[in-house]
Amino acid sequence: MMPILAKPAIMWSALAYLLVVVVIGWWAAQRTRNAKDFFIAGQGIGLVVTGLATMSAAFSGFVFIGGPGLTYRMGLASLFICIPVSFTAGLLCWVVAKRLRLLAGVREIYTVPDVILCRYRSRLASGLAAVAVIVGTVGYLGAQLRALGIMIEAIFGTRRLLGPWSLAIAIAIGLVIVVFYATAGGMVAGVYTDVFQGALMVGAAIAVFTAALASGGGLGSIAHSIAGSHRFGAGFLDPLGGGVPIFTAMGFFMVFAIGNLGQPHMLHKFFMLDDPRKLKWMPLVLGVTQTLCLLIWLGIGLAVPALVATGRLAPLANPDDASPQFLLHFVPEALAGAVFAGILAAIMSTADSFVNIGSAALVRDLPKAFGRRLRDELRWGRIAVVGVAVAAAVFAYLYGDLIALLGTFAFGTFGAALGPALAIGLNWRRVTAAAAAASIATGMGVSLVLEFLAKQTYFPALPKPPFAPGVLPAAVSLAASFTVLFAVTWVTARRQPPDIDDDVQLVMDL
Amino acid sequence: MARRLALLFVAVASPLILLLFALPWSGAQALFAVLVTAYPVALIVVAVSRRGRVGPLGIPLLLLLVLLEASTVAMLALRNRVLDAPWVAGLPLAAAIQLYGVWLAPLLLVVLAYALTFDRYEMRQEDLDRLLASTRHREDPP
Repeated sequence: MMPILAKPAIMWSALAYLLVVVVIGWWAAQRTRNAKDFFIAGQGIGLVVTGLATMSAAFSGFVFIGGPGLTYRMGLASLFICIPVSFTAGLLCWVVAKRLRLLAGVREIYTVPDVILCRYRSRLASGLAAVAVIVGTVGYLGAQLRALGIMIEAIFGTRRLLGPWSLAIAIAIGLVIVVFYATAGGMVAGVYTDVFQGALMVGAAIAVFTAALASGGGLGSIAHSIAGSHRFGAGFLDPLGGGVPIFTAMGFFMVFAIGNLGQPHMLHKFFMLDDPRKLKWMPLVLGVTQTLCLLIWLGIGLAVPALVATGRLAPLANPDDASPQFLLHFVPEALAGAVFAGILAAIMSTADSFVNIGSAALVRDLPKAFGRRLRDELRWGRIAVVGVAVAAAVFAYLYGDLIALLGTFAFGTFGAALGPALAIGLNWRRVTAAAAAASIATGMGVSLVLEFLAKQTYFPALPKPPFAPGVLPAAVSLAASFTVLFAVTWVTARRQPPDIDDDVQLVMDL
Repeated sequence: MARRLALLFVAVASPLILLLFALPWSGAQALFAVLVTAYPVALIVVAVSRRGRVGPLGIPLLLLLVLLEASTVAMLALRNRVLDAPWVAGLPLAAAIQLYGVWLAPLLLVVLAYALTFDRYEMRQEDLDRLLASTRHREDPP
């Protein structure tokens, strides 16, 4: 990463970006007066802002760095992670967004566990949902803060100045900026920085995609170079072949399509929309911006193997170097600066969303699960933001490998724990509170156990999960969570049909 | 009917997928691919059904299902035979199906279907009025 230091445009772009984020945070702080402002931006956000904020919260630095690296390693099969965006915006809107937004209009709902409590009237189910949110938040947020620290370290060259303390100080700098705007401006700051960050991500992705196609002489030339090379071969361009098990490729499709229905950092944004009728164009805004942003993954993911195949770039020792190598050697310095700022934006926009929902889970959802309510949620929310962020940063620094592991499966954990109870429960009245609680516990528990067994190296004697090669633990936990939801509903709904409040029932019927 | 079928599909497909993950059977992976492609469409049908019917969304959702399933089956059929098939728009056929058939075409279909049926089916003004009236009724003192 040292070459970044030799390119001052990258450092200045990053500084300018961080300055804009701080200014937005200061501006938003003037507009945050109560808990509703702090947690759901006063429910006064328009369509484009909500769409861009949802997109930028959903896409972390993985889209810019990890995604192209994964394509370099496993070919087009990796694209099954991003391809579901073709319909997930519609899936979200049809299956959950309308009902989430309408419920937030008739009840005081700020969080996903609030929705669970409202639908099932079960503090157990709501409390389990809050625990799932906190577990996933620590993983997701810790991974984002660590990635932020690594980026700051690389861009500003802090390692040369600070030696062994470099990463800790770089994480601390990122932490201070995120905590500043998330504490001061809450979700108002979160969504408006997300809009700025989302626009930056989309612009950078389009520009890099164009540069990537140009570097390889167009899509056809890139594909022929890859297919004709010994290193990659035709299998690279085979979506369901090339040595990648179908269970893995289509497992990506399953987890990243259906798992979307349980992502609190995305669902949370729907509570903020000022008018539910604006959902009409949400699939357009969300689907198109997601697709545009993913062009960077597709572009670098194809261009770098083609450049390696034609000998214009040395083979990568680490696939995650695909993006940095391409940006440093094949795009103009000013554009590279904007893209590095875009990577910071992708990381920080995801981090700020988790800081907010993590603090809401601590000061609102968990106390409610125990039948209590804090008196001043705004003040406690601000304190919790600091607590959640500092805890995640400390974990990220002390247990880097563990946090990376937690971060990679947080998406699957959220999907499996919260997806079935929301996707089926908000659309089928027979789902009982017991079924929702069992499904949430199953999704969270199976995900944690399987991911730990699959990736841990601490205890060599522990068995590996008993599944075929290539099966994703997140896909198992998602299927298990749906199975348990239906099974427990089948058993319990006969004994006692669910008791749903009239207004909630009306929202479910619409 | 559509809703019941969709619920039945999700309820049966979920444990079946778990079974496929553990079965030492050569067709398990292909069956998983076919099942999981239909899964999101089934969830949409469960959500949009009113009195068991999907109204004006019937044709778009059927098209979406056919598009996704046909693409998946075609990619399965072309598996490990990338260079035997023709190239389309700069890519081998299987890759072109993945990019254009599973990514771009459904995006267009979903965006249009959602927006064009929104006012008369997804969120009708009379439904919002009913909800508003119910909320007012709930807030009014007895």
